[in-house]
Amino acid sequence: MHSNVIGMNETLDTHLQELRRGTVVLACLQLLRTPGYGYSLLEQLEQRGFATDANTLYPLLRRLEKQEYLTSEWNTDEARPRKFYRTSEAGIRLADTLTDEWRSLTAAIASLTAEEH
Amino acid sequence: MTTTTLTERYISATIRSLPPEAQGDVRAELEASIADAVEARLEQGEAPEAAERAVLTELGDPGALAAGYADRPLYLIGPRYYLMWWRLLKLLLLIVPVCVFGAVALGQVISAAPVGEVISTSILATGGAILHICFWTTLVFVILERSGSTAALTEWNVDQLPEPAQDGAGRSELIASLVFLGISVGALLWDRFRGFVQVDGQALPILDPDLWPWGIGVLLLIIVAEAVFAVVLSRAGRWSPRLAVVNTILAVAFLAWALVLLFTGELVNPDFLAHVEAAGGEGFAAGQAGAADEGGVFRILAVLLGFGVAAGVGWDIVDGWRKAARARRG
Repeated sequence: MHSNVIGMNETLDTHLQELRRGTVVLACLQLLRTPGYGYSLLEQLEQRGFATDANTLYPLLRRLEKQEYLTSEWNTDEARPRKFYRTSEAGIRLADTLTDEWRSLTAAIASLTAEEH
Repeated sequence: MTTTTLTERYISATIRSLPPEAQGDVRAELEASIADAVEARLEQGEAPEAAERAVLTELGDPGALAAGYADRPLYLIGPRYYLMWWRLLKLLLLIVPVCVFGAVALGQVISAAPVGEVISTSILATGGAILHICFWTTLVFVILERSGSTAALTEWNVDQLPEPAQDGAGRSELIASLVFLGISVGALLWDRFRGFVQVDGQALPILDPDLWPWGIGVLLLIIVAEAVFAVVLSRAGRWSPRLAVVNTILAVAFLAWALVLLFTGELVNPDFLAHVEAAGGEGFAAGQAGAADEGGVFRILAVLLGFGVAAGVGWDIVDGWRKAARARRG
């Protein structure tokens, strides 16, 4: 029975990753309604339960900026210049669409488990 | 100052492959992000050097990070092109190496190269062809993958489903085999006793009359065995490994019979060749002289005929095994 535990854990991780993929985008769009920079966002995501690797988040931010869901601005007021991102109008609409989708998925899954009991 | 050489090296390695206009921005942002992360670790009491190492280690291979920034795939051929690449490669590998091997061997035998040289040259050329096919086909698809082109993509539809393959063991195959074998026997007898070629009202056999009775007897035995095999195959209703083995033995027996007689010069009637040479006149004589290095026109024709027979027999053997494999899967 124990011989399969490692393999089981690996497939479990893969399934969890598959399910979580995409939620990071939604979390970023929601959090960045108030402007934030790379490392602060990384910490916020961690605290809110969307633990993400830095090497995934930083490229993702630039990609969303390129797709015009985020806007950016350099803040040079402090000693360390930082690039601040903010969710754009299009980004807010995308976040709303994704949130609706998430809610309907939640309802769908709830109906599945409701039938079980 | 937390930005030390290690961080500098990391950032340089990351932005090196990015478009020039993005490099400055990514550098500045990464510097700040790394400095923030290192600072957070320092506040928890880590040593500066260890903190920097840990942060950079967590960020991982700069190549992977750069691929993330540039939206570059971290694979050679992705799912979009993989099946197309694999199908094309299989098709080419099925056709080209065999053709190259046959063509090179044929050329070598015609120019009367020693057996060892024929084999080694043919194998080398075939290996080269396989390498070239694999390399260039893959290269084209890698370029397609990276150029993001969708020009080569065709939507799959149900019309592309493969036809159900014939098992080749039915009644029509039996009839075809028996008719073919019957015609062969008829042609042998006709050639010997009535003659496809008549000279002054006399039959001039194409096959050497000295083959009768032993040489032809062996051939007739093989033909009878082929006929029995066709009947057994039809009764069995499907190919099996055992039938494929028998088919291979029969095919090799025929090949050996034909090649031995062909290359010892006992297959074709010398009188017939002399007749052809006489009828060919000056043009033929010139051809003979031109082909003297290769051992004359008749030797070249013998080589071509030998290769033709070998190719046909080879296909027959492969076909039998393919059908046996298919019958076992189906």
